[in-house]
Amino acid sequence: MAKKRTEPDRPIQMRHPIIAEGHTPATVTDQISAVVLTKTPRWWYVGFAVAFSLVMVLFMALAQLFVKGVGIWGLNNPVNWGFAIINFVWWIGIGHAGTLISAILLLLRQNWRNSINRFAEAMTLFAVACAGLFPLIHMGRPWRFYYMLPIPNTFDLWPQFRSPLIWDVFAVTTYALVSALFWYVGLIPDLATLRDRAKNKFAQHAYGILAAGWRGSSRHWHNYEVASMLLAGLATPLVVSVHTVVSFDFAASQLPGWHATIFPPYFVAGAVFAGFAMVITLAVPLRALFGLNDFITLRHLQNMAKVMLATGMVVSYGYAIEIFMAWYSGNGFEQFMITNRIGGPYKYAWFALILCNVLSIQLLWFKRVRKSVPMLFVVAMFVNVGMWLERFVIIVTSLHRDFLPSSWDMYSGTRWDWATYVGTIGLFLALMFLFIRFLPMISIFEMRMILPEADEVKEGKK
Amino acid sequence: MTSTTATEARYAPSDFAPPSALAQPQRMAAIVGAVAALACAVGAVLDPAQFFRSYLVGYLYILGFPMGCLALAMLHHVTKGAWGVVIRRILEAATRTLPFMVILFIPVIVGMKELFVWTDPEVLAHDDLIAGKTPYLNVTFFLIRAVIIFGVWGILAFFLNRWSLQQDETGDNRLSLRMQGLSGAGIGLYVLTASFASFDWLMSLDPHWFSSIYGVYFVGGQALTAMAFVIPVALFLSRQAPMDKVFRPSHFQDYGKLMLAFTMLWAYFSLSQFLIIWSGNLPEDVSWYMTRTAGKWLIVAQAIMFLHFGLPFLLLLNTDIKRSARRLSIVAGLILVMRWVDLYWQAAPAMKVAGLHWMDVVMPLALGGLWLWVFFWQLARRPLLPVHEPFLKEALHHE
Amino acid sequence: MNDRATGLELQGYLAEFGGPNRMLRAIELVKKAGYERVEAYSPYPIEEISHALGAHSKLPWIVLAGGITGALSGWALQYFTSVHAYPMNIGGKPFNSWPAFIVVIFEMTILFAAFAAVLGMFALNGLPRPYHPLFNVERFALASKDRYFLYILADDPKFDLKRTWDLLEKTECSEVTAVED
Repeated sequence: MAKKRTEPDRPIQMRHPIIAEGHTPATVTDQISAVVLTKTPRWWYVGFAVAFSLVMVLFMALAQLFVKGVGIWGLNNPVNWGFAIINFVWWIGIGHAGTLISAILLLLRQNWRNSINRFAEAMTLFAVACAGLFPLIHMGRPWRFYYMLPIPNTFDLWPQFRSPLIWDVFAVTTYALVSALFWYVGLIPDLATLRDRAKNKFAQHAYGILAAGWRGSSRHWHNYEVASMLLAGLATPLVVSVHTVVSFDFAASQLPGWHATIFPPYFVAGAVFAGFAMVITLAVPLRALFGLNDFITLRHLQNMAKVMLATGMVVSYGYAIEIFMAWYSGNGFEQFMITNRIGGPYKYAWFALILCNVLSIQLLWFKRVRKSVPMLFVVAMFVNVGMWLERFVIIVTSLHRDFLPSSWDMYSGTRWDWATYVGTIGLFLALMFLFIRFLPMISIFEMRMILPEADEVKEGKK
Repeated sequence: MTSTTATEARYAPSDFAPPSALAQPQRMAAIVGAVAALACAVGAVLDPAQFFRSYLVGYLYILGFPMGCLALAMLHHVTKGAWGVVIRRILEAATRTLPFMVILFIPVIVGMKELFVWTDPEVLAHDDLIAGKTPYLNVTFFLIRAVIIFGVWGILAFFLNRWSLQQDETGDNRLSLRMQGLSGAGIGLYVLTASFASFDWLMSLDPHWFSSIYGVYFVGGQALTAMAFVIPVALFLSRQAPMDKVFRPSHFQDYGKLMLAFTMLWAYFSLSQFLIIWSGNLPEDVSWYMTRTAGKWLIVAQAIMFLHFGLPFLLLLNTDIKRSARRLSIVAGLILVMRWVDLYWQAAPAMKVAGLHWMDVVMPLALGGLWLWVFFWQLARRPLLPVHEPFLKEALHHE
Repeated sequence: MNDRATGLELQGYLAEFGGPNRMLRAIELVKKAGYERVEAYSPYPIEEISHALGAHSKLPWIVLAGGITGALSGWALQYFTSVHAYPMNIGGKPFNSWPAFIVVIFEMTILFAAFAAVLGMFALNGLPRPYHPLFNVERFALASKDRYFLYILADDPKFDLKRTWDLLEKTECSEVTAVED
């Protein structure tokens, strides 16, 4: 677990407090577990109902798809990868912040992460679930999805391991499983807390089973901390590998606009960028609705804004180098691709993308913007949109003008494309609503650790 | 922001005056550098073309030391990690060698005609592809870019060093924030300029070839070089007063972790470029790897794989090695050697060399020796610890 | 130590503390007295307590073994299917395309190592364990909130009904309870 840090003893406000003053282990425990253990607020039902109706939209779109086939989407020749892959990459990118916050910041002993890691991890899981849906449904025959897995079938065929799409199957599956493990392991001590706090029999048993008999003994904690550190060490390269493999889906091809060596680091940075934008998007309303401003403080939002700025600059670097290299390559197809991207029929998408991902984040250089919650929320929303546009631009503008001018075509999503996309947002929100209702959205035991009282062990006071 | 000097400083800058023992490695570096430089001067007369080829590789190798240190210093200012405070003066001393690196760049300009085929009108007349790149690849613009690149680096190094010195004098905490602000933007500027430096000075040796990851690949290499350089210097300083009571095994453990992280980062960029080009298998890309895995170059490529990544990676996983300054320095030494091999493997095949020339090996000793001489001179000019750094206590009680 | 009246068996004594330092001092005392079967419970991990009780974990080795197993099976799977079971010529690449195999080998390494870490942690901690005598103590529920507990098991060779009780009473604890099952 994160080592406790002694704050500098000089009177400068270089670091804002992680938790508001006056909290003790008891107040932290009560306040966070109360969210789960008390009566459901009315707005929760309203919110969940909205999200759930969007899930119904998703089911309708899927039913239509399974009955009629992928013809209901806007795909054509040459754009035979459309919304499905755009949404897949968008969701999986959002799913990067959770594991990054949990793993890398744990390794770096950045204990400010303790207030946001839990719901960021949950966000990762739900985003990966939404992402995983798209490769499954975009297959013409989704019921044959198991062909992608390395299991013997009647034709003795095996997956083709030189294809990045199969790498993706392994990467995303591993990521989903390891993220779920990481999340569950992080939850165990808090599940024990809920087991001990819950008033009704059903909740006691449900949390009791999930807590698996956790008692918080020193032996438990010791193995637990070693396991957490090891998992963090494993998850850090994993999280980088996942979006790298997603970028290989494009870069390992030969298509101008896709085949670029900068793709792996630029995709990973973009994923973290999108992920942090989504964490801010969720954290701002959550802290207001549940009165958790004491735990998710301005310092958290500011730090996330800085990460967003840094990764956004890497993404901007990627755009710039892509344009430069397309020209420098001296390859006519590369040069055409980039002029078509910027000045062709989809130029508005490109300009909107630059506005959202490059220009809007420049505001974050100013401390005043980083300190203003509404401004941060607005910038985060811009980035959420911008990262979707980025994938749209990369995929559609590279495909719609292919090597053969006679097959050039335009692409746009149909209402079923949009219904599927909006439906997954509903699925994501619905899962998020269930999570905040039934599980502690802030890691209680890690909050106890960073309380000033916890530090007294070291100081030897008391 | 309170900008107070009212709180008592437990240390004064003079408590960390550089030890006189620094003169000894400086003298050794000067001797090795002078002898090797003399040998190279003779080589320059005997075989000027080979001299410039060896010089370019040696120069780009040594450039990684000060520039990587600039990057690490800025990374430290931005993250305010405890690891950076105690090595900050090493990093800053390295960045102050930048004027010396500008002077050392002159032979590269002199040898341009020998090094870069795109300067040859004969080639341009017959090669449309290269001729199409002349708006970028021409001598004037090349020089303008070099001025911009060194200018940006110079400005960053100048202000970081100046404010750091002011902090010693006044103890003003605002300076710490100012350095943090500059470093945030500075890292971006450094990555951008260093990318173009790599395109100009390394990638354009083979003007047909291009790779958009090349810039960050080069930057990753520089950061790794700097980290591997700082560790032995820190080991040397930790053996005598005043720094012996500052460095702890936990500091070296952090440097080991950072070196591991940079090793992995370098390998990640390297593998990404290779896997994408190998999968696409397009003639315009893959030719770069074909020449670099043909014949004896394959052995070099494999050596880079196992000795630049495999072995250091496995060694650096071990906590005991990371916590022992001496053993960690041995790993750092291996990485420093392999950094040169990596650059040589990238540059030499493009320059159509027949094989390893004695000047290839002597040149890094010459430039490195002279550079270290300047570095130790600069290191001895300032206190070895920024005692007014707000996070000093955290850094000293680091575990 | 069977209590004939209730049929319950004494499992050990549980002392409750209000703060980690009080418990740490008590641990010192108990250790000095020569007790071996001692457990401490806290609402969050405290390194000093694990240290005082001499904790060390075999988990890194389990994870290493998991990682190696994953890497080898990832490589074996791809080599077997691509070279022996169903060799296919894809873009003129060799059957044994090791660069292409790196990704899956990497993912399998992480996957196996992560499962080894979690399952290993459960095994070393003796979890899942739905029932434990300590759960009979009502106040023990506070171990997951803000109280600290020290538990001396009855099967400790030095355990004595009276002397152990007195020893715990002497510490700065707020209460000593007998744990029965």
